[in-house]
Amino acid sequence: MTQRISKYQRFKMMNPILQFFKFIYLSIKVLIIVAGGHGGTRQVN
Amino acid sequence: MAKIVVLGAGISGHVAASHLRRKLSREHEVLVVSPNSNYQWIPSNIWVGIGRMSSKQILFPLEPLYKKKHIGYKQAKAVTFHPEGDKTEAKPYVLVEYVVGDKKGQQEKVTYDYLINGTGPKLNFEATEGLNPGTNKTYSVCTYTHADHAWEGLHALIQEMKQGKKTKILIGTGHAKATCQGAAFEYILNVEQELRRHKVRDMAEITWISNEYQLGDFGMDGMLLSYGSMTMKSHEMIEMIFEDRDIKWILGAGVNKIEDGVAHYENLEGEYKTETYDFAMLIPSFSGHGFKAFDKNENDITDKLFKGFMIVDADYTPKPYEEWSVQDWPETYQNPSYKNIFAPGIAFAPPHSISKPRKSKNGTDITPAPPRTGMPSGITAKLVADNIIDTIKNGKESLHHKGSMGNMGAACIASAGYGLTSGSGVSITTYPIVPDYHKYPKTQGRQLGKTFGEIGLAGHWLKLALHYAFIYKAKMRPFWWLIPE
Ligand SMILES: Cc1cc2nc3c(=O)[nH]c(=O)nc-3n(C[C@H](O)[C@H](O)[C@H](O)COP(=O)(O)OP(=O)(O)OC[C@H]3O[C@@H](n4cnc5c(N)ncnc54)[C@H](O)[C@@H]3O)c2cc1C
Repeated sequence: MTQRISKYQRFKMMNPILQFFKFIYLSIKVLIIVAGGHGGTRQVN
Repeated sequence: MAKIVVLGAGISGHVAASHLRRKLSREHEVLVVSPNSNYQWIPSNIWVGIGRMSSKQILFPLEPLYKKKHIGYKQAKAVTFHPEGDKTEAKPYVLVEYVVGDKKGQQEKVTYDYLINGTGPKLNFEATEGLNPGTNKTYSVCTYTHADHAWEGLHALIQEMKQGKKTKILIGTGHAKATCQGAAFEYILNVEQELRRHKVRDMAEITWISNEYQLGDFGMDGMLLSYGSMTMKSHEMIEMIFEDRDIKWILGAGVNKIEDGVAHYENLEGEYKTETYDFAMLIPSFSGHGFKAFDKNENDITDKLFKGFMIVDADYTPKPYEEWSVQDWPETYQNPSYKNIFAPGIAFAPPHSISKPRKSKNGTDITPAPPRTGMPSGITAKLVADNIIDTIKNGKESLHHKGSMGNMGAACIASAGYGLTSGSGVSITTYPIVPDYHKYPKTQGRQLGKTFGEIGLAGHWLKLALHYAFIYKAKMRPFWWLIPE
């Protein structure tokens, strides 16, 4: 097994406190991208 | 008064029906025809397949909900399409066949003013010889019954590993043109984590087999994404995860035959190889349902409505990969021959794949088909419903609402392991879904920042939150419409 993710990175990935803030950040970011609108492509170009 | 018939009660059919009912007054009829009596939140099948959720937690019966919300419902399947009616029926109709109860086997003409085809894909197991969930040690997680079987198989294998048996697990795609790599990706990571939880990880060799040219292609031609402060290619990210989890991989593999514990495949080099396994979960190819269509004189007009899946406002002119553009992709999901028929979600025929098409040295196409995940399925269904609502209200055709996959973002929150504090998720968003190489020439057709990846516990919480939010929404609980598709 090749350890590609360092111990420190893994600590950050699995730390519930850090991840709680990440959860809020991700939820907002995903919402903005997905609910941020959609449309056609044909008139635009 | 208008009658809107919705075929299918999956993500797209159910989203369309619920928005139509909410926005149209009761004088208009909304009728759903679907053979499965339950609504299922398919993305959580992954957790059913590892025994961490029961199928009951991801489904609910449709009939009581539809009754309460004044949505008509027939537990039946569409058989043939008659968009001009016939000699005895002046209105357009769909011939449906009841699948349960006293009426089982009976056929009925269901007339409509507007038709939404949300029948999704046919899980085309027959396209791969021997691939039949529950046989030859292969399983599927595409439906909740399949996922239940998969967990039975995996559970039995875990018991054998506890007795000291060394095993091989194979997960990925079961056909040269399969799609839905994301679901298989989630499943392989969840299985790997479960084996660790059961303390038998060292007893299993886990292998990913896929028709992708590179890891992280996901049928979307791969992605260049922001990862923390870095910019990374999706294949680098997935390679990092697989190496970290000690998962091997076989790429460019078109699985063409399954025997008991043996997968036969051809690779892009044109070599014919085999891979043995004790447990496999292989996603089948997705195809159209093989519906036929007839005009009023009962002449076959299937090619006006279907090209495998349903024909919509896409540009289907065959052209080389270099000439593909986002403009090829549909915007309104309206059938060009019959303007009152629409096909959102997986039911529409895509103009071509998204990934670069590749052939083996023997000429076999080994290319992932384009994925249409839950989010675009919901968005396209809502915009179809909105256009029909506007058309009914304005008394003239309105196609104001548009949503091309070339101008739409999507999030793929892939579970990488279950557990409130030990779980993990790979959150990936892409904007747009279909790369626009003219608009974003230097970043592989997508906007960096809006195309990003994250790995960690938060991803698991997000996936779990989406599970509860979307089931709440599907049950049409108070203010359900505030939750975006
Ligand atoms: C295991 C798995 C995991 C997934 N995970 C994710 C994820 O994490 N995120 C995500 O965004 N997407 C995910 N997806 C993809 C997502 O589930 C699909 O995009 C979505 O279900 C497509 O919706 P649909 O309504 O077009 O089709 P479906 O959900 O397949 O619905 C089709 C409906 O049509 C009905 N039907 C079939 N035949 C007929 C007929 N003849 N007449 C009438 N009705 C018929 C079916 O019973 C069903 O109700 C996953 C898919 C799988 C298989």
